[in-house]
Amino acid sequence: MSAVKVEALEKDYGKVKALKGISFEIKEGEIFGLIGPNGAGKSTTLKILATLLTPTGGRAEVFGHDVVKDGDEVRKLISYLPEEAGAYKNLKGIEYLQFMAKLYAKTGKSYEEMLEVGVKLSGLESRLNDKVSTYSKGMTRKLLLARALMVEPKLAILDEPASGLDIINAYSIRQTIKQFAKEKGITFLVSSHNMLEVEFLCDRVALINEGVIVETGTPKELKEKYEAENLEEVFMSIVGGQQKVGVFG
Amino acid sequence: MSDFWIIVKKELKDLLRDKGLIFGIIVVPLLIYPALGQMMQIGFQQAQEETKIVLVNFDEGDYGSLLIKTLEAAPNVTVTTIEALNLDEALKKAQEEDYNMIVVISKDFSKAIESNQKAQVEIYGIVKGISGGMRESVSEGRVNAVLTVINDYLAKLKIQQSIEGNPDAILRPIDAKSYTVIKGRIVPVPPSLVANIITSQSISMPLVIFVMIIIVAQMSAGSMAMEKENKTLETLLTLPVKRITIVAGKMIGTATIGIIAAVAYMIGMRNYLGSMMSSSGEIGISLEDLGLIATPQGAILFVIIMFLAITFALSFAMLLAVFAEDTKSANTIVSAGIMPMVFPTFILMFADIETLPLAIKYILLALPFSHPILASRAMLMGQYSSMYVSVLYLGILSTVTLLITARFFTTEKLLTAKLRFRRKR
Repeated sequence: MSAVKVEALEKDYGKVKALKGISFEIKEGEIFGLIGPNGAGKSTTLKILATLLTPTGGRAEVFGHDVVKDGDEVRKLISYLPEEAGAYKNLKGIEYLQFMAKLYAKTGKSYEEMLEVGVKLSGLESRLNDKVSTYSKGMTRKLLLARALMVEPKLAILDEPASGLDIINAYSIRQTIKQFAKEKGITFLVSSHNMLEVEFLCDRVALINEGVIVETGTPKELKEKYEAENLEEVFMSIVGGQQKVGVFG
Repeated sequence: MSDFWIIVKKELKDLLRDKGLIFGIIVVPLLIYPALGQMMQIGFQQAQEETKIVLVNFDEGDYGSLLIKTLEAAPNVTVTTIEALNLDEALKKAQEEDYNMIVVISKDFSKAIESNQKAQVEIYGIVKGISGGMRESVSEGRVNAVLTVINDYLAKLKIQQSIEGNPDAILRPIDAKSYTVIKGRIVPVPPSLVANIITSQSISMPLVIFVMIIIVAQMSAGSMAMEKENKTLETLLTLPVKRITIVAGKMIGTATIGIIAAVAYMIGMRNYLGSMMSSSGEIGISLEDLGLIATPQGAILFVIIMFLAITFALSFAMLLAVFAEDTKSANTIVSAGIMPMVFPTFILMFADIETLPLAIKYILLALPFSHPILASRAMLMGQYSSMYVSVLYLGILSTVTLLITARFFTTEKLLTAKLRFRRKR
């Protein structure tokens, strides 16, 4: 069974068409990257799969469950990390993890196991006993990532997971994602505008631009096909001709 | 622990740790209002201080002496008789020695009384500084009370000397005894006094309900908006928890804090009003004395009506908060949405709903927050049928609102309403 199946997915915000009928599939245990520039439709796709938004057209399934009709079932299988997320400022880091672990405990692993993993993943050690309001942006992101992964969902949907993290922490997060996919069989859907990061992390990628998926494949396949050194060059050779390039482009 | 209680617990923890919020809604009312009350009390106490009278007696007869003796015997009054040739001199002396009242007995005071003419006493209050004249007003009252006693005594004495019969009956030939009929029972208390007692109740109840509704509504909308502001909402909505559980958990969590805040506010307010009331003197008759007692049935119905009104306020505020971007806009939207439903009920402070024009009566009955006010009276009067109607109406209204709110939580409106709000600006 596919972990994720997206068919002709469309989403309009009033007159703005954010998604124009995209389709892709993610196999179980795969790390799948959705890459593209800002405003391409990455976050909208992820939010639809996380049951936050309703598609205007097409359909999306998570492990065979329709995201619109079976929202409650889908939410039991996923863990979603938004691009811009916060934690409850008046709770301590450890209390935040405890709150989340309690809510997920019935879906699989035990509360204690989840908490143990969460504490380790966050790397915040004694700072976990401080209020979230005292955390830096990077520390909050680490706490949120730990929350998303400790529950060991069947599908982790991570929107720009390394956003706000320094090189060392970003590297560490990528290693953790790879390790969780390999050892625990978790499927990952990761979005990023950092194509080099995705190239290193993902088994397969879909390049999205202006609400349309322009190419799908493994990073290796795509580089060979477009005779490019990296995904950035692949992306530019696909969309470069269509786009107006600004002063920085 | 069920998902519901996990969310309630988190909500309570998150709110109770917010020092600014706790200070603003619990500590401030508990400190500020009693402090204000204390300040008022000090003013009153100062006013109640000993009345110091300077007395200038130009009379040489017995009645002048009688007045002086009666004044000296009056409680909280000190009389110092001084020799003065005229009023200016008396004034000067009184001011020098910090007296606040001057009583001048005119030259022919006794003579006038003896010849059945009106006798003159002049009372001067010396207003000083910032006391606002309160002290002088109290002092004047004391002197007047003494004069009333003397007037009464002298009148009766004169009647006794010239006419046969009961001087009191001649002085006041008609004696009116007032009674009030409440719930078919005759109570030996004048209707004006009963009206006073009931009015104090009917004014305080809408105020209490107003405070409770506004605080609870602001809190629940604020907690919802806080999720948006702190960017925790999206995560919350993707947790493996039913949306109705999230709504209910947040409502109960915020309602608990809201009710604590409202109670703190009322305790503070009661302290404040209490210190004013005790200074102005109490009527000394309670609702129980009048036979206005709530039966267990009435009390239970009232609690249910209050609960339903608060449930409505909570779910309606959460519904409004869907359209808010942050806590600031949530407060504005909730005020705009709830205030028009609460303010008209203030009419009930001063008017009986049955005496109002039909259109106004039905508008008031349509407003959910009129029902707790009406119920507070119906409870005391034993009119349970109207309370059952209120329970039914509020039950339907709050269930429908709750379902609409929960429905909104299952749609993307919670996230996209913000987008549209922004675009409109």
